[in-house]
Amino acid sequence: MFIHIFTYRLKCLLRDYEGIFWTMLFPLILATLFNMGFSNLNSAEMFNPINIAVVNNESYRQNQSFKQTLEKVSTGDDRLFNLSVVSREEADEMLKDNHIDGYIIAEQPIKLVVSRSGIKQNIIKSFIDNYMHTFSAISNILEKDPGKLQSLINDIESKVKYSKEVSVTNAEPDNVLIYFYTLIAMACFYGGFLGMGEVSDVQANIKPVAARINTAPVHKLKTFFYSSAASIIIHLTEMLILLAYLVFALKIDFGTKTSYVLLTTFIGSIAGFSFGAFISAIVKKYEGFKVAVIVSVTMLCCFLAGMMYQDMKYIVATKVPILSYLNPVNLLTDAFYALYYYDTLTRFFTNIVILTGFIIVFCSGTYLIIRRQKYASL
Amino acid sequence: MVVKVKDLVKRYRDILALDHLSFSINEGEVFGLLGPNGSGKTTAINCILSLLKYDRGEIWIFGQPMRPDAYDIKRNIGIVMQNIAVYNELTAYQNIDYFCGLYVKDKNQRKKLVNEAIEFVGLGEFTKFYPRKLSGGLLRRLNIACGIAHKPKLIILDEPTVAVDPQSRNKILEGILELNKQGATIIYTSHYMDEVEQICSRILIIDKGREIATGTKDELKAMISLGEKITVESYSITEKQISAIKKLPGITSVDYKNNALIIKSGKGTNNLETVLDFIRKENIHFGRIYSEMPTLNDVFLEITGKELRD
Repeated sequence: MFIHIFTYRLKCLLRDYEGIFWTMLFPLILATLFNMGFSNLNSAEMFNPINIAVVNNESYRQNQSFKQTLEKVSTGDDRLFNLSVVSREEADEMLKDNHIDGYIIAEQPIKLVVSRSGIKQNIIKSFIDNYMHTFSAISNILEKDPGKLQSLINDIESKVKYSKEVSVTNAEPDNVLIYFYTLIAMACFYGGFLGMGEVSDVQANIKPVAARINTAPVHKLKTFFYSSAASIIIHLTEMLILLAYLVFALKIDFGTKTSYVLLTTFIGSIAGFSFGAFISAIVKKYEGFKVAVIVSVTMLCCFLAGMMYQDMKYIVATKVPILSYLNPVNLLTDAFYALYYYDTLTRFFTNIVILTGFIIVFCSGTYLIIRRQKYASL
Repeated sequence: MVVKVKDLVKRYRDILALDHLSFSINEGEVFGLLGPNGSGKTTAINCILSLLKYDRGEIWIFGQPMRPDAYDIKRNIGIVMQNIAVYNELTAYQNIDYFCGLYVKDKNQRKKLVNEAIEFVGLGEFTKFYPRKLSGGLLRRLNIACGIAHKPKLIILDEPTVAVDPQSRNKILEGILELNKQGATIIYTSHYMDEVEQICSRILIIDKGREIATGTKDELKAMISLGEKITVESYSITEKQISAIKKLPGITSVDYKNNALIIKSGKGTNNLETVLDFIRKENIHFGRIYSEMPTLNDVFLEITGKELRD
């Protein structure tokens, strides 16, 4: 009987093109769009050298220490400035045409000319201030005690840091990943459509075909479990395809713990399926209404997990932390991120254990509701 | 006795859907459950099938109390729902095979039964068609095949001919009689009295969940006073002529509306010739004139005071 119901259910699901679209193609399309939209997000946060000019006058040419300092910070891959040495007129022209963010006149004192204020202008100003303070300190010390020149140079060269930056992980923080992780979580919870379908198919008060199944000499929960096995296999396959697409085609980094990533996907798929089944069991309305509830709840959970606005995840975590643990989409997203970012598994397992708790609640609730064998009305 | 229903009461909040309904069905009968829409036919069927909770009463099938987990009983029941109950993603053949497979485990036996069911309902050319590609009539036939493929002893057909073309309808009705000939007991619900008259060996008329009358169609017709109904289609009959017709021997009532004169007479009388003589004598112009024997609608009308068609 298992093989009979299971194989026919597989056929039904594979021919349900609308269902396949929402549970597999839609997340794939969304992942592609995310990839196109977010590809420049990380590079936008990288520091780009600031375009500046220095006026090539007599003072600049004679001020060797400033000249060398400026040239030093304007060379190499991690340079601070893209430096142009030009005449005053050329510098004015370049500033006017926005080719540079400011220009320096190396007079006494050093002058900075900018056309507007902003971060880049502040950086240039900080650099000049820092240079002038250091230059002034050295000049003062030399005037008072020239014998301390060497120890001063040693002090400047060996700046002591009194705090140490210790990373909790070897992984680089990556803001874009959250979007893809919530996308996987969303796809997991779109498996709710399959769960909903399985429950509807054995509820005689919802579908005529369910009434026929209820009159057959097979316990309806048996039919439900056998059909559900087919649905879960289909959804897991869809999730693995999505995962493979993200990893191999879009090169999304899931860290190195592959087996745990697969475990999370499996648990996410079961959680989504059981969530849909539970909603279908408790909502005593027609299928369209159930679909609306599943989509609304899933999208709200995705929003709170940071799918549409990444900072939302942190706003929720700081303002209403309990909501982070009550949102299954967030738990799933966080489990993926914990696998990527943290070296330890404590946070990952916390998420997985709570998610498993949700699965138990959803499954128990569904069982208690659909086990009844007669209906008050059809 | 195949089915016994005793004192069945079902309420939907304040509405009494089944009001102490009792009936029994013997082996080999084609039992008709006739009543207007909303009379409680489908509710009664759903209670018999243990799909619906009921407030009071007892139901036995094949001599055993019917319960949701009475799988031995269910194995011998075939159900054809009022609504089409098939999977749109499976072909006609696969649908029949799937539902038959819930009753019959043996693959070879199932294959034989499925092919027989396909032949029986005349879907041979459409086995690879998906339900959405089938016409309304063919879809109804598929619905029937899914319900009867496992060769049940008791077949329940709940309004199987709703929205069906005449050709498919005849095919369905012939099929039901054939199933009965093969040994199946049939419960047939409908609000089409002509269908029920045509195929049912015994009929239960219900209204508002209550039994109105039970019996063969002749027994039911014998319950009422009407013997013959003559209809004269004419637009030129005067009040004086109507009064004169009323005085003819054996006439029990005369009604003239919408250019149709309806003359009813009591049992054992035949007034067609008398009426024709009167019309000729009075030189009344008429379109058609015809005589009818009482129908189940007349039975329903006389007992409840309203038309069954309503």
